[in-house]
Amino acid sequence: MDDAHDRVWEVFRQEAEGDPMVHGGNVRAPDEELALHYAREFYGRRQESHRLWVVPREAILELDDPDLLQPPFDRSYKRPGGYIIKHKLEAAKARASRDGEGS
Amino acid sequence: MRYPLGMQQGMDAARADAFYAHVMGGGKVEADDPMPDDYRAAVLKFVEMHANSELMGVLPEREWILRAPTLRRKLALTSKVQDEVGHAQLLYRVAEDLGKPREQMLADLLAGKTKFHNVFHYPTESWADVGIIAWLVDAAAIVSQQALRDSSYAPYARTMKKICWEESVHIMHGRDVVLTMMNGTDPQRALVQDALNRWWGPLMQMHGPPTDPATDRDLIWKIKAKGNEQLRQEFLSIYVPRIWELGLTVPDPNLRYDEGEGRWHYTEPDWNELRSVVTGHGPKSQARLQFRRDARDATQWVRDAILGPAAGTAVA
Amino acid sequence: MTGQGLSPATRDALAELLLTLADDEFVLGFWDSEWTGIAPMLEEDVAMSSISQDEIGHARAWYELLAGLTDDDADRLAFGRAPGEYRHAALMNHARTDWAFTVARRYLYEQADAVRLEALVRSSYTPAAELAAKMRREETYHLMHFDVWLRRLAEAGDDARGRLVAALERLWPDAEAIFAPLAGEEALTAAGILPEPLAELGARWQERVRAGLAAVGLPALPDSGPTPADGRMRRTDDFAWLHGQFTMVARSEVGATW
Repeated sequence: MDDAHDRVWEVFRQEAEGDPMVHGGNVRAPDEELALHYAREFYGRRQESHRLWVVPREAILELDDPDLLQPPFDRSYKRPGGYIIKHKLEAAKARASRDGEGS
Repeated sequence: MRYPLGMQQGMDAARADAFYAHVMGGGKVEADDPMPDDYRAAVLKFVEMHANSELMGVLPEREWILRAPTLRRKLALTSKVQDEVGHAQLLYRVAEDLGKPREQMLADLLAGKTKFHNVFHYPTESWADVGIIAWLVDAAAIVSQQALRDSSYAPYARTMKKICWEESVHIMHGRDVVLTMMNGTDPQRALVQDALNRWWGPLMQMHGPPTDPATDRDLIWKIKAKGNEQLRQEFLSIYVPRIWELGLTVPDPNLRYDEGEGRWHYTEPDWNELRSVVTGHGPKSQARLQFRRDARDATQWVRDAILGPAAGTAVA
Repeated sequence: MTGQGLSPATRDALAELLLTLADDEFVLGFWDSEWTGIAPMLEEDVAMSSISQDEIGHARAWYELLAGLTDDDADRLAFGRAPGEYRHAALMNHARTDWAFTVARRYLYEQADAVRLEALVRSSYTPAAELAAKMRREETYHLMHFDVWLRRLAEAGDDARGRLVAALERLWPDAEAIFAPLAGEEALTAAGILPEPLAELGARWQERVRAGLAAVGLPALPDSGPTPADGRMRRTDDFAWLHGQFTMVARSEVGATW
């Protein structure tokens, strides 16, 4: 930026109580007080926000390396969709009902 | 110019090819992703002109903030002009993150080195202009802005979502002003017709002459999603019926919709006027730039005082 | 208590009080709305515009309350009077001028408005007490915002500080007019509509402003004499110009709806 007194602040907003904080955008301001005031103007003046987080841009650490976030080997065992149980369930139910008839 | 984010120089051919395959396939680009210099320059130029237009678009309506005739209109108009300032800030922020400082963009605008939309080079002559601008100029703008929500440059696309949401209120404000006057006295109705007569030409020029989709760089790289003529046709389809139903006359005897072709026919807009106006030769071009230079000079001491002595200096 | 059953004299005094509250907000809101589009930074532009819109919104609420009391219309009250019929304090007689002038005026005004609203929330006239309570929620932010600006300019270099000091000195006597005595004020205090006399509110405001300026190292403002009785009656060429602007469209077609 042009000057140390004029920084970029990233603004996160919560639309309604309990909602996740979502990135809204950013403002430029020379200090924390005005950063809050300007965040309120740009991301809340239509009563569209329940809560704001205002963070100096430099404080944000970014990670977007696909080797770390989208590694190439199978991770399906970490997700519910990785477990295909439809046929197994049908088979187990069929067997249970057969066993039940037998007892 | 140095780019603080991303690649300083062009990338090698293979990576550039992969980049263009990514965006042409619908992929998105973030501010600190590597990108070829020509893509960066094209996005910057596009967003900078959009930002300039929002900032200069403040001035025609601002003249009526002190003249709004009721308390509610006063609130609505001030709020609308405030939103345009807010949009300028949002768009300059997008452009700044591509590497060009805000002060440099303002300096280039005030020096006449960069452009702003044709419609903001014209005078506002009556309260009806406030209605016609908020209704139809904003409508023509929103047609193109909605298409920009799909831009390949993701920070711009996200900003356009927010802007479109706010602009929809402006159209309602403008339409309400027009409807109120059309339900009013004969002189009020005449003011609306007069405003429409003066704004129709600039409105038809606003989206620009048709371009060849095969060579329109911004279209190929999906910086924008729709061509000029397509946007103009969409605008006409939605808004001409709404103009006609109020008993207003569109000042173009050749305007008609051809059912068979599925498109509007109209008198060829004056593209020479468009070129002349956007290069600073419109009826209010120089007065508006001078007004903004004066306003900027008058507040330079404030920026010096709170941002530091070097900040915000308009570098010529 | 509502407006019903008030004696004619008390009612007139109440109407006069509401008119001063509405006109202060209305005229200041108009001057400051002129910053929309040309404030020092884009971010501040949007903030300043919101504040001026808030003031117009408050003016509208006071005018509506008054219109209900006197069987009038809020827009007629706002746009349909001759310049001499407005009752804003002399502080609002000046044009927008520069940013230091705006910060100085807003700081003096926000401090005064805070004192005034704190009193009015205790008003026996329920509609005014309820409005004052709602307005305080918005005005708190205004005062915070201009307190930040006062400090920033006071701490800045000689140019900014000098402009601020000059503006405060120039505006100080006219700001006192916010607490100028009101016709029929005794009837309002007797009925509890105005919980404290304006002179007492004015003294409290002076203390707060003096403490606020001292805290940021700004020079003390001169001692003031008695508040001039005509502080809400004087009008200027600046205001005549503004009046010409804000009535322009409304005057152009009398009786029309806009």
